[in-house]
Amino acid sequence: MLCGAGATRAEDASSWREIETKYIFGFTTGSGIGLEGEKEFTVDSVGRFGKRDGHYAATETKYEFEFTPSQFVQIEFGALGSTHNIGGMTDLDGRNQAAFAGGFAEFRYLAVERTSNNPLSVTLAIEPTVRLIDETSGVRVRNYEFETTVNADFELLKNRLYAGLNLLYEPEATRTATDGTLREAKFGGSAALAVRLAPNFLLGGEVWYLRHYDSPTLSDFTGDAVMAGPTLYVQFTRKMFMTAAWNAQVWGREVGNSSPLNLSEFQRHRARLKFAYEF
Amino acid sequence: MSAATMIMRTLIPAAVGAIALLQPAWAEPAAEVRVTYSNGQFQPGVVSAPVDKPVVIHVRNLDAKALEFESTSLRVEKVVAAQSEVIVNVRALKPGRYEFYDDFNDKARGALVVE
Repeated sequence: MLCGAGATRAEDASSWREIETKYIFGFTTGSGIGLEGEKEFTVDSVGRFGKRDGHYAATETKYEFEFTPSQFVQIEFGALGSTHNIGGMTDLDGRNQAAFAGGFAEFRYLAVERTSNNPLSVTLAIEPTVRLIDETSGVRVRNYEFETTVNADFELLKNRLYAGLNLLYEPEATRTATDGTLREAKFGGSAALAVRLAPNFLLGGEVWYLRHYDSPTLSDFTGDAVMAGPTLYVQFTRKMFMTAAWNAQVWGREVGNSSPLNLSEFQRHRARLKFAYEF
Repeated sequence: MSAATMIMRTLIPAAVGAIALLQPAWAEPAAEVRVTYSNGQFQPGVVSAPVDKPVVIHVRNLDAKALEFESTSLRVEKVVAAQSEVIVNVRALKPGRYEFYDDFNDKARGALVVE
């Protein structure tokens, strides 16, 4: 792969095909919505690792079908699977489980389209999700999440260098057997850069700033964190690609806790691995 | 009202609204553009269309094998069987250069210039 990248370094990038930007920025989502009539099946896993003490590893995998019914709209839906491997923690019960975790749908609308005269492209997205398993603890719950994002990207150098920006608002309500209904929200944004080293190979980096509230109206702030790390995108064939990303928490704070980092609402590390097949 | 009901009540009007936004663009009269594919190349290599008008691209494949007419910036893809023709409908476009290609043949490139 790296040999291929080296061999094509001298190529004129203006002769490369334009690239779909949705998945080139890691956890940051680009504005791409695919091609009208295109369908895609993806397996998208996100792992979260490390809390304050003990051992913590949790994953959530989306088994996702996406299609583009028009030149402005993309629709996705699918099922969720999760795993939790938790032990020796003060705040969470130990468990080692894999489970069907719920379902989701996503609607994406391209609000500003890129042209050869305008490098900016913006997509608005909403993603309602129903979970049967709590993302953090692995406990059985009924969780309703309504993620709302603005996905923007710029083509800084034609076919070579891209910048991505996300804005996120994610309110959720969780009903548990013991604690009644808990309401919370996440709010934040990200900035990412991706450089296309070869027609089928991009490397980049991203930074996320996330805030957590114990209220969907963003009135009860509990802490925030900064996550940062590298990203990778590889197009294997015309119809198959993968994306990978790893973020480490580089800064964080919790209200009422002077410990470094915010490990109550966020994790030390998170990683994403996604494979997609278009048809 | 349950959260699921609330989500559905928000979601369905939003989706219908988003799709409804597309309708005015398609109601305008379309500009027609013709492209022929032979010997693994698009002819002409560059075609033009007016600004802010939907475009209907007629793609005629004279070769003995299929092609896939595709464009990231036009956001379309369509397979054209050997020795046949398809119509590709494109939304009203802003000024610019929109590249297209045969997804089965990396050397076959063309562009739609909107001005």
